[in-house]
Amino acid sequence: MNGFNLSRSICTRQLLQTKRRRKITEFEPRIIVFACNWCTYAAADIAGTSRIQYPHNVRIIRVMCSGMIDPIYVLRAFERGADGVIVAGCNYTDCHYIDGPVKCDVMFEKLGKCIHTLGLEDERLRRELISTSEGTIFAKVIKDMVNQLKKLGPSPFRKKVKS
Amino acid sequence: MTLEDIIKETKTYYCLECGKCSSICPISRHNPSYSPRLMLEKALNGFEGDLINDQELFSCLSCYNCLLRCPADVDYPLFMQKVRALASAQGKYGVPAHSGTLQSLMRLMSNPAIEQRRLEWLSDEYRISEKADILFFVGCAPYFESVLDFKTGALDIAKDSLKILNALGIEPMVLADEKCCGHDLLWTGDVKTFRKLAEHNARIIKESGAKKIIFSCPEGYRTFKFDYPHYVDLDCELQHITEFLAENMGKGKLNFKEAKKKVTYQDPCRLGRHLGVYEQPRKLIEAIPGIELTEMEHIRDESICCGTSAWTNCDAYSKQIRTERLLEAKATGAEMLITACPKCQIHFKCAMVSKGEERGPDVEMDVMDIVNLVASALGDNGSE
Amino acid sequence: MAEVRIGVYVCHCGTNIAGTVDVEEVARYAKKLPSVVISRDYMYMCSEPGQALIKNDIKEFSLNRVVVASCSPRMHELTFRAACQDAGLNPYLYEQANIREQCSWVHSDRKQATEKAKDLVRAAVRRVSHHEPLEVKELPVNPNVLVVGGGIAGIQAALDIANGEKKVYLVEKEPSIGGHMIQLDRTFPTLDCSECILTPKMTEVGQHPFIELLAYSEVEEVSGSVGNFKVKVRKKARYVDESKCIGCGVCEQKCPWKVNSEFNAGLAKRKAIYIPFAQAIPNVATIDKEHCVYFKTGKCRACEKFCQANAIDFKQIDQIIEIEVGSIIVATGYDNFDPSIISQYGYGKYDNVLTGLQFERMTCAGGPTSGEVVLKDGRMPDSIAIVHCVGSRDENYHEYCSRVCCMYGLKYAYLIKELINAEVYEMYIDMRCYGEGFEEFYRRVCELGVNFIRGKVAKITDQAITEDEQGKLTILVEDTLLGEMIRVPVDMVILCTALEARSDAEKIAALFTLNQRADGFFLERHVKLDPVATPTDGVFIAGCCEGPKDIPDSVAQASAAAAKALSLISKGKITAESAIAHVNETLCHGCGRCEETCTFHAAKVINKNGVMVSTINESVCKGCGACAVVCPTGAISIKHFTQEEIKSMVDVLAES
Repeated sequence: MNGFNLSRSICTRQLLQTKRRRKITEFEPRIIVFACNWCTYAAADIAGTSRIQYPHNVRIIRVMCSGMIDPIYVLRAFERGADGVIVAGCNYTDCHYIDGPVKCDVMFEKLGKCIHTLGLEDERLRRELISTSEGTIFAKVIKDMVNQLKKLGPSPFRKKVKS
Repeated sequence: MTLEDIIKETKTYYCLECGKCSSICPISRHNPSYSPRLMLEKALNGFEGDLINDQELFSCLSCYNCLLRCPADVDYPLFMQKVRALASAQGKYGVPAHSGTLQSLMRLMSNPAIEQRRLEWLSDEYRISEKADILFFVGCAPYFESVLDFKTGALDIAKDSLKILNALGIEPMVLADEKCCGHDLLWTGDVKTFRKLAEHNARIIKESGAKKIIFSCPEGYRTFKFDYPHYVDLDCELQHITEFLAENMGKGKLNFKEAKKKVTYQDPCRLGRHLGVYEQPRKLIEAIPGIELTEMEHIRDESICCGTSAWTNCDAYSKQIRTERLLEAKATGAEMLITACPKCQIHFKCAMVSKGEERGPDVEMDVMDIVNLVASALGDNGSE
Repeated sequence: MAEVRIGVYVCHCGTNIAGTVDVEEVARYAKKLPSVVISRDYMYMCSEPGQALIKNDIKEFSLNRVVVASCSPRMHELTFRAACQDAGLNPYLYEQANIREQCSWVHSDRKQATEKAKDLVRAAVRRVSHHEPLEVKELPVNPNVLVVGGGIAGIQAALDIANGEKKVYLVEKEPSIGGHMIQLDRTFPTLDCSECILTPKMTEVGQHPFIELLAYSEVEEVSGSVGNFKVKVRKKARYVDESKCIGCGVCEQKCPWKVNSEFNAGLAKRKAIYIPFAQAIPNVATIDKEHCVYFKTGKCRACEKFCQANAIDFKQIDQIIEIEVGSIIVATGYDNFDPSIISQYGYGKYDNVLTGLQFERMTCAGGPTSGEVVLKDGRMPDSIAIVHCVGSRDENYHEYCSRVCCMYGLKYAYLIKELINAEVYEMYIDMRCYGEGFEEFYRRVCELGVNFIRGKVAKITDQAITEDEQGKLTILVEDTLLGEMIRVPVDMVILCTALEARSDAEKIAALFTLNQRADGFFLERHVKLDPVATPTDGVFIAGCCEGPKDIPDSVAQASAAAAKALSLISKGKITAESAIAHVNETLCHGCGRCEETCTFHAAKVINKNGVMVSTINESVCKGCGACAVVCPTGAISIKHFTQEEIKSMVDVLAES
């Protein structure tokens, strides 16, 4: 019996699981990124200043610190039909509030178990550590995830579960 | 359903305004401005807006103290449940605990398109059947550990329940696609999602051919017994595991080894006041040689609620209610508090979390579910 | 609640946004959103006329919320907030949608980009309705400054501030200030005598009316925040009365117990009662309790007997001094890498393998060998090797370059040639001579006939295989320019050891709420543009605690940090963070999870009329949000970033 292994396997550059191969080419996934103001949001801005192009499927929500991200935001995003969610913030040594990323990791591990038990594919939820200057990496992560999600297909929750 | 319909259905117009409900209510005891009587009066006088916009509408614990004592037989908890449905339809929802994570999980679970992985804890050590007369209902246990920041013990309840049943020679069905019973959603007004969950559970249980469902969670038990019949058709015998064990224990089927412990027992609201199961858990505890059961000051139908219901409006008064109860438990001199409900266990354990430098009253003590106690005391059983 | 009236402004930003996003359509779309009263598009919203649009509309349409869809809020949020404030609207009733950096500049499809811009505007409109007016609080700044560390960086910072007639507390953990610089002999490339240029500054510090020197002291506790720090300093007991001691040194002569001298890098001994070096400031003795015969056995007391000033006081105890300052400069310096862990180099095994610092002490005229370069047995060495990059530029120890070693390696070569004209070998990988006069110095050293061998030393051994190697230390190295493995027999080896973060850097970081980088040194606020500030407001760093550097760079950083502190003092007040945590006491369990998680000690559970409840120290809270996540009941929320607000954005943006 596998537990939910939250190691680097859920972070950047993960290989696809070949569970569901629905090649729906018209399907445009919706990705929500929770980005911390000081690092990842700034990195997305840098991608913009450098005119690095990436798919339009992403919507970024700014928080002050990745430690501010509550699991309800991610669950709510899936409830509303998001196909993928990225929980992003500073690297461990860069945090403006010292140890926000560590706190975020603690939250993320539990959240990952919830998502796993619900039966969602692991690829739909990602944890990323993107520093201020890493605009290129931000764009790459988005492109990667869009491609993954296109192959994986829409989230089973896309037919909205209204509250 | 309008407020008038609710009043008719729950017969709240019989209210005598005697105030018995408020005097017995655990919340009113700590929050002097909270009054079940006053809420009823607002409804009866047509102050629907006041009622629906009051966040304290979601504070009621549905502990049934008032129902049992009301001289006019008003079903206040049901009234509360229905008014909450009305409020929910207008977008009101109290103050969900844990940011509403649990409710969100239940709504996500209700989606028919998912394939849960809720049995990963089920190792080869526990024997289950593809087809059997008895079905064991696990409930939300696989999710609790991933939401709360302490060890809830909920999965241990499921595991030990299976261990005991196996020791009795029973290999029940455990369904991989079971979903939350919906109790918490029904009691916070989300009737629509509750119905989805109920319909799903009813369908898969019917398909399984189960004749009897055993619950380790009194909330699931109560919901299947009293609430499901209004929404779905399910014809199964229902029992709490303590009822089942109490029946089967006497036939010499369960052997216990000695365990020296002084314990006290918490009658959960649902198992006790809702379902009337008071004796069987006690019989079980006393059957274990060496266990000394010492009772708290308020027991059976006077038992004090653990303080929070349906993961909503968990506030300072909830903390005071459960502190009151834990202090009663400690006052018995018992080493351990035995509960028969995973929610009671979770809420009591949460009250013991004290991470600040300045601390409140000491409420720390060991807490364990009755099936954990029974499972730990199992000796060699011939029917292995 | 009053009716929400929102004004939406969509910026063209020239063609930056309008070139990809159909801004007029977005403005039209916004007009139809709930509670939107007025919706406009304009060329440059951040310009004077653009801002005037907002200000006029606020008055004309009684707007109580404003949304601007334009560049990143990191660019102009403050600008537009100020515009709102100017028009009488609380600056926190404003929200910005990023449709440039995160939309028009990164997407090329006009239709998709416009749809996305509409989504972002809709989310901003939904969110701004939830915003509450927040108080903009100003707090006074305490003009005192704490400087931690009395090396050259600490000394410079203290002098700069004190010369501005502001009070400085200079805390130094050793018995005297001076740091590592006072241990050096000559400084490259001018070969100034280090003591000669440092001691006048040290004397100035000792006598300055605005500097309170707390030597032999350590910071124990820091609380508060920028403008108002409360610091507890432990002044350790010297067992000598500072006010009476005249620094005559008689006690030192009479003391029977000898211990390895830290100042002389282990090359000499000192006494249990000692003045670390002749120019110590303060020039008073200290008793090293661990090694004092009296403290160990109750006997001796020779120092007391012979002290004419009656300054010895065995009953002295540590003092806790509480000070209040508005800013802190951390200048705690570096430690030297201990090369004994590189066993191939034989440090600690062979007598004549020295570290750079030990060699400094040797060449110092006042040092353990009176300035003579000698081997352990007293002979003068004929040949000396200087090994670069010991512990630096090495994945196994420290990846970074320690910056100063190439230059001090050259310095040693020069001094050796000058003093004893021995044969000198420099084993290097690169010669990093980047600074003023450095390349010129390198050239001079080359011209002295120093042998430069390009290769990282593999091993130092005393096992001779030829006659030449008998009685010497042989260095095995590949001369990479010749492509040959060579053996170089020498009498003495000097290891250019890495500069590393202090062994207690982690403790210091925790004390002052600093980040450590992966290499152990403290993290600056911005690598390029803010090298002396840190993410913690009011705490600055200077010198080698920020990373290896030479004396001029340390001095520059020290003055920079002093300027930052003086700038704070000059302004006299700071704006407290408004988007901070807030406790709803009705929901609070007093469980303390918030207190446990708060890195800044802003959340604290107290007993309020018999009820345990959490409180937030508003001047310390930074609004990071960690407490709100761990709070099980929702009692704590972060103003301006409430869960309702963020959920409202999720609701809008997650649906497609």
